[in-house]
Amino acid sequence: MSSDPDKLVAKADKLTKLTLTRWSADWRNATLNYEQAANAYRVAKKYEKAKDAFEKASKGQEMLTSPWDAAKHMESAAALAKELGNWNDVADLYRRASELYVECGRAQPASDALGKAARAVEDHLPDVAVQLYTDACSLLEEDDKDQMAFDLYRALTAVHIKLEKYTDAAAALLRLGLAADKCNASNSQFKAYLSAIIVYLYANDVKAAEKCYNDCSQIPAFLGSDQGRCGSRLISAYSEGNVEEIKRVAQSSTITHLDHAIIKLGRKLPTGEVTAVKAGTEEGEGLDEDDLT
Amino acid sequence: MSVIDLITRVDSICRKFDKYDVDKQAELNVSGDDAFARLYAVVEAELDSTIEKAESVASAKNRAAVVAINAEIRRTKARLLDEIPKLQRLAMKKVRGLSREELEARSDLVSALKDRIASVPDGTTTAAQPSSNGGASASTGIKFNSNYDGSFDSDYFQNTEETDRFRQEYEMRKMKQSAQDEGLDVIAEGLDTLKDMAHDMNEELERQVPLVDEIDEKVDKASSDLRNTNVRLKDTVNQLRSSRNFCIDIILLCLVLGIAAYLYNVLK
Repeated sequence: MSSDPDKLVAKADKLTKLTLTRWSADWRNATLNYEQAANAYRVAKKYEKAKDAFEKASKGQEMLTSPWDAAKHMESAAALAKELGNWNDVADLYRRASELYVECGRAQPASDALGKAARAVEDHLPDVAVQLYTDACSLLEEDDKDQMAFDLYRALTAVHIKLEKYTDAAAALLRLGLAADKCNASNSQFKAYLSAIIVYLYANDVKAAEKCYNDCSQIPAFLGSDQGRCGSRLISAYSEGNVEEIKRVAQSSTITHLDHAIIKLGRKLPTGEVTAVKAGTEEGEGLDEDDLT
Repeated sequence: MSVIDLITRVDSICRKFDKYDVDKQAELNVSGDDAFARLYAVVEAELDSTIEKAESVASAKNRAAVVAINAEIRRTKARLLDEIPKLQRLAMKKVRGLSREELEARSDLVSALKDRIASVPDGTTTAAQPSSNGGASASTGIKFNSNYDGSFDSDYFQNTEETDRFRQEYEMRKMKQSAQDEGLDVIAEGLDTLKDMAHDMNEELERQVPLVDEIDEKVDKASSDLRNTNVRLKDTVNQLRSSRNFCIDIILLCLVLGIAAYLYNVLK
């Protein structure tokens, strides 16, 4: 067997092309050749050719009805595409690999593949990364493996915060809370809720933060927890317009236990005007008295 | 047949019979020229799905699910309300093949849509239960309720030696108190960090438990398979060996008979 990868690829191509003399493609030998060629290319650092060889090897494994090996080859091809910097290719190849893993019935490696893809492209194609993270999370949730989804949700939140889409970040955190609730991981759940409140406050949307806090307080355990108390102190500090109190709460240790991105947001609180909310609450009380009389 | 096979087969069947799907065909037939109709259809479809989600909130038992769904509904409402001005502008534009009444009806449609979007319930009316218990106990710092503050009025009592000593001790303790307070604060923060780490460790271990169980099962299955295979192999090898002995026996027997027959012929 010649070790020259070009010759191997040419031989494998010949094996798969159908001509008058060859009526059915010999996928087994062809796949073997493709794999050897791909490894040789990778060692020689010819990434473009190695990626192509891996893709062909993966197709060969598919023909041999072995989706697991096909998926593994796709992943190698995608890793090489990452070295080359073809971000669209990376996303497509990882998606294909994940589909093959789903065919094998293994959701965990499928979502791992999507996670790797999202991490690779998040700097260059953040919207694609968002889509990949969401798909990875839904794969895990369908398979009842919510625990693994936490990390993905946290990474998704970080991407949203980088893109400054604060409502999306808060929604992702609330979904984290939901997943945590399903597996009774109360600490993660409450941290997620507190992070969502902080994100809303950073976006200067005090009403939404209050609504969020009210929603989360429906869960009795949250009220009595550290995170719940910290959240209520923040909200009351905002409604009183007390900047000192806000800064003090933001420095407290409860916030320090959250994610880095959230801590950075917390340290920058308060953003914008805080005193306006006080006037709003006074008006509300006036109306109530009118209603009673 | 595994679930994956079922899913792929159902997919291919659906694709085959797509052309009989009335709803899908109606969707495809929406006129491509009319941007207003397209956008209106899109917004209306999203509004319908949001209303469905809102209804599912009422039946959702899980509170955390309620929270998450409400957040999604609010986000979608904000997005749809943003699209409404665009829709209104498109409604104003004259499109060929459309009468004046229909044009006016369009703006009415848009405002009706806006009302419908605003009326989707998103759980904002429920107020928080008073967090009185939590709030009251979260007092910062340890406050000593001292009314004296060192403002001793010497008219009220005579200074004996003992009271002098007491007063000195009191003032020393007050100085040390702030140092104590700081020390206690540091300890409290350390404990907080420890508690958080312990919680995280707990959750991580709970995450690992089902994984380890899976590994356990798979290893058990693998080892029992191996034992089975070993036993069968041993049986087969034994059989082979004994059958070979059997063959040797037969050959030797034939040889002996052959020699006997030869001797018999010679001696006859």
